[in-house]
Amino acid sequence: MTRLEVNLELNRVEGDLTIGVTLEDGVVVDARTVGSLYRGFEQILMGRSPRDAMVITPRVCGICGTAHLYSAVLALEQAWNLPVPPNATRIRNLCLMAEGIQNDLRQSFLFFTPDFCHTRYRDHPLYDKLMADFEPFKGVMHRETLLMTRRVLEIVAHFGGQWPHSSYMLPGGVVTPPDARKILACRSVLDEIGAWYEKRIIGASVDEWLALDSAKDLFTWLEKPGPADSALGLMSQFTRSLDMHRLGAGTPHMISFGAWCDPVSWGPPYNTHLSPSGFYDGDTRQLSSLDQGLINEHVRHSWFRPYTGGLHPFEGETVPDYQPGTDRYTWAKAPRYGDKVVQTGPLAELFISGDTLIRDLHDSEGSSAWLRQFARVRRTAVELVRAREMLDELAANLGEPHYISSSPDAEVDGQGCGLVMAARGALGHWVKIKDGVVEKYQIVTPTAWNASPRDSNGELGHWERSLIGLRVQDPDDPIEVGHLIRSHDPCLVCTVHFLETGKRVRFAP
Amino acid sequence: MVTLFWLQTGACGGDSLAILGAESPSIEQLFSSHGVELLWHPSLSHQSMRLHDEVIERILSGELTLDILCVEGSIVTAPRGTGLYDSYKGRAKMEMVRDLAAQAGVVVAMGTCAAYGGVNAAPPNPSDCVGLQFDGAQPGGLFAEGWRSRGDLPVVNVAGCPAHPHAMTQTLAWLATGLPLPLDEINRPVSHFNTVVHQGCTRNEYHEYDIEDLEPGGRACLFFNLGCQGPLTHAVCNSDLWNGVSSKTRAGVPCFGCTSPDFPRDADLFSTEKIGEVPLRLPLGVERPRYMAYKNLARAAAPQRVRDKKMEP
Repeated sequence: MTRLEVNLELNRVEGDLTIGVTLEDGVVVDARTVGSLYRGFEQILMGRSPRDAMVITPRVCGICGTAHLYSAVLALEQAWNLPVPPNATRIRNLCLMAEGIQNDLRQSFLFFTPDFCHTRYRDHPLYDKLMADFEPFKGVMHRETLLMTRRVLEIVAHFGGQWPHSSYMLPGGVVTPPDARKILACRSVLDEIGAWYEKRIIGASVDEWLALDSAKDLFTWLEKPGPADSALGLMSQFTRSLDMHRLGAGTPHMISFGAWCDPVSWGPPYNTHLSPSGFYDGDTRQLSSLDQGLINEHVRHSWFRPYTGGLHPFEGETVPDYQPGTDRYTWAKAPRYGDKVVQTGPLAELFISGDTLIRDLHDSEGSSAWLRQFARVRRTAVELVRAREMLDELAANLGEPHYISSSPDAEVDGQGCGLVMAARGALGHWVKIKDGVVEKYQIVTPTAWNASPRDSNGELGHWERSLIGLRVQDPDDPIEVGHLIRSHDPCLVCTVHFLETGKRVRFAP
Repeated sequence: MVTLFWLQTGACGGDSLAILGAESPSIEQLFSSHGVELLWHPSLSHQSMRLHDEVIERILSGELTLDILCVEGSIVTAPRGTGLYDSYKGRAKMEMVRDLAAQAGVVVAMGTCAAYGGVNAAPPNPSDCVGLQFDGAQPGGLFAEGWRSRGDLPVVNVAGCPAHPHAMTQTLAWLATGLPLPLDEINRPVSHFNTVVHQGCTRNEYHEYDIEDLEPGGRACLFFNLGCQGPLTHAVCNSDLWNGVSSKTRAGVPCFGCTSPDFPRDADLFSTEKIGEVPLRLPLGVERPRYMAYKNLARAAAPQRVRDKKMEP
C-alpha cells in the first residue's frame, strides 16, 4: 500500500485554499482544509461605532458584500429593536437576489465549468461541446456570463450606488426610495437576464423548469431538445458521466437561515422569511425549526486559546494561540449546530424551503457534488422570479417609506444577531454593544460551516468528509478534488480568521 | 505582447470582482485588443496551480519577461515581520511580492489595501498590514520610498475600495501602450485621480445652497452631517458612474474617502466632525473664514424648491 500525504493548492476559490490529504493507493483516506490568510476583521470592529459595521463588514468579501451588509444591518436592528419598512426589505432582498444571481452564474461558469476543459478530458465524447461552451474567454457560456453578470449588478448600483462594497442598508431601512426610473431600469435588466437564462442555461421556460417536481420527470426533461443542448444539460451529462452524482456527499445534515426576510411581516421577533429557515437532521430525516441558540464554535483543532466544547457566537472568543506541530492545524474555527456537522448552500436552502424536485433528487440519490451544482443553477431561476416580485411590489407601493428614523435613545447597549442566506449559504453576524460602541463582533460565514476543521469530538468538517473515498489520479494536478471542492462554491476570503501555518500539516494518529 | 501577473495578498477579492464590471475596456478587451497577455490571475486562470508555480519560476529565472505585476490586497507582515499570516506553500506572500516586483517592468497596486494598507490596516491592525510603498499616508511600506521597478517607476497606486473598474482597466491599457503615465504626489495615475467625488454628484444643488440632511435616507447633501468625504476625495465615481448607472453619493451613501491613504478614517464613518456648525474637514483647499461667509450667503439665497428638498438627486 502506498501512503502519501500531500498539500493540494486550489485557485478559483475566492482566496487561497490548501487541502491536506492523505492518499492510500490514490484514494483519499484523510483530509484537512486549511485557509491561508488571517485578517482579523472582528478585532477591527471592536471599539468602533456600531454603524461602522455597514462600511467595514462588506469588505470581508468581494463577491458577497451585500450579504454581509444585510447581516450587519439585521444584527443592529435586532439589538435596537427597530421596525423596518416593507419597501426597505424589498430593496434589500432585490439587491441580495441580484448579487446572488451574479454569484451563482460566476461560480458556475467562471469557476466550476472551466475544469471541464482540462486536457485530461480530451477523449471524452462531450469534449468539443465542453470547449465550445466553457473554455475561458472563448467559450460561449464564459463570454456571455461575463456580460450578463456585469449587467445584473446594475440592479445593486441603482439602489446602492455601486457593487461591490456599498453601505446602502442602514438600521431602519435603506438610503434611497424606489421610483419609476429605477424600477423600470431594473426590470429591463431582469428581462434580459431571464431571457438569456432560458435560452442558454436551461433551454426552456423558467415556468416549465420550476414546475418539474420529480427526479423521474427531470431526467426525461433533460433528454428533450432544448434542455439537452443547454448549459445545464451539458453540465449534467458531463458531471454525471464522471459519477459526480455519487461523490462528495459530506455530512447528511443541512442548515438554512431562511432566504429573504418577508417584507410585510418582518419586524420583532425577526423570524419570517419568503423561503423558510430550518435544520434537517440527516440521521432521523427530520426537519426542525432553526434555533440560533444551538450554534456554537469549537477550537479544539484550531490555533486559538483552548476552551472546552463549543461556544455560542455571543460568548465566542478569538484569542490566537499559535501551536504548530501539534494536532491543531488551522486558524479556522469549527461551527456546529447542536454539535452536529452541517452543510449549507443552495442545496440546503432549496431542500429546507420545500423544493419538491430537490427533495426527490436528494431522497433518491443523496447529497452529491452534482446535486449541489444543480441546485445552484436552479436557485438562479427562483431568484429571477422573486426579484421580479420585489420590483412589482415596489411599484405597487411607491411612496411608502424606505427608512424610519429612530431617536439616538433607541441605540441602546445590548446584543443582536443578523442571519441571512448568502449565495453560499448561512451567514450570521453577532454583535454586542457596550457604552455605545462595539464590544464584540463575531461572523460565521457559509464557508466556515462547510470548510470547518475537526471539532472537539474529532468529527471531520463537511468538506473534509466529502473528500474521503475520492480517487485522485495525479496529486500534482488534482482535478477531481477541484471539481468536488468547487461544487461547494468555496470562498476562502470569507473565512475571516483563517490562517495557514505555512508548514506541512501532520497529524498524530 | 505585454505580460501581466495578478497576485492576491491580504485581500477580499473585491478588486478582482470589480474589474469584471469594467466595460471600456472590459477585462476581455485588455486581452483581445490591448496586447495584454495574462500569465496568471487567481480567479480567472483555469490551469492548475502547477502551472502557476512554473510561471513564477520562469519569471524569477529571467526566462519569462514580466511586464506588469498587479498586487491586490494588503501586505500582511505578521507575525513579527515574517508575513506568514498570509502564505503560499510555506512562503510569505510578502516575499513572493518582493521577488516578483524585482523582475517587473511596473508594479500596480490594485486597490487601497495594496496601495496604502486599507481596511485590514485599520486599528488595531491585527495582521500588521502595510501597503506596497506606503504605510497609510507615510511613504515607505513593503518597499522604501525610493524603490523603483525595472521600468524606473514607483508602485502605481490605483486606489479605491474597491478601485474603480475603469481606473483599473484603463490604467492597464495605458501602461500596455508604453506611453508615460503621470502620477500624483501619492503615486496615483493623474488621469483617474484629478477630479473629486463631489464633482458630478447629483446632490450638488443641495451642497451649493447648504441644504443639509440630518439623517440618512433623504435627498439633500451628506457632507455637513453624515460624514461624506466627496469634496475631499479624488476619484472618478461621479464622472464615470459605477456599473454604468450610479454612485454611492447619488444613491445616498456618504463617500467614505476610500481612495485616500487614511481609509477607513478612525472616526464614526456616518457623522461629520464639526467646529461649531462647520465641518472640521472642508472641501480641498478651501479657507475656513471665506467658506463660512459663503455658506451663510448661500443658505440665504436657497430657492424654496431646494429648501423644501423637492428636487430628486
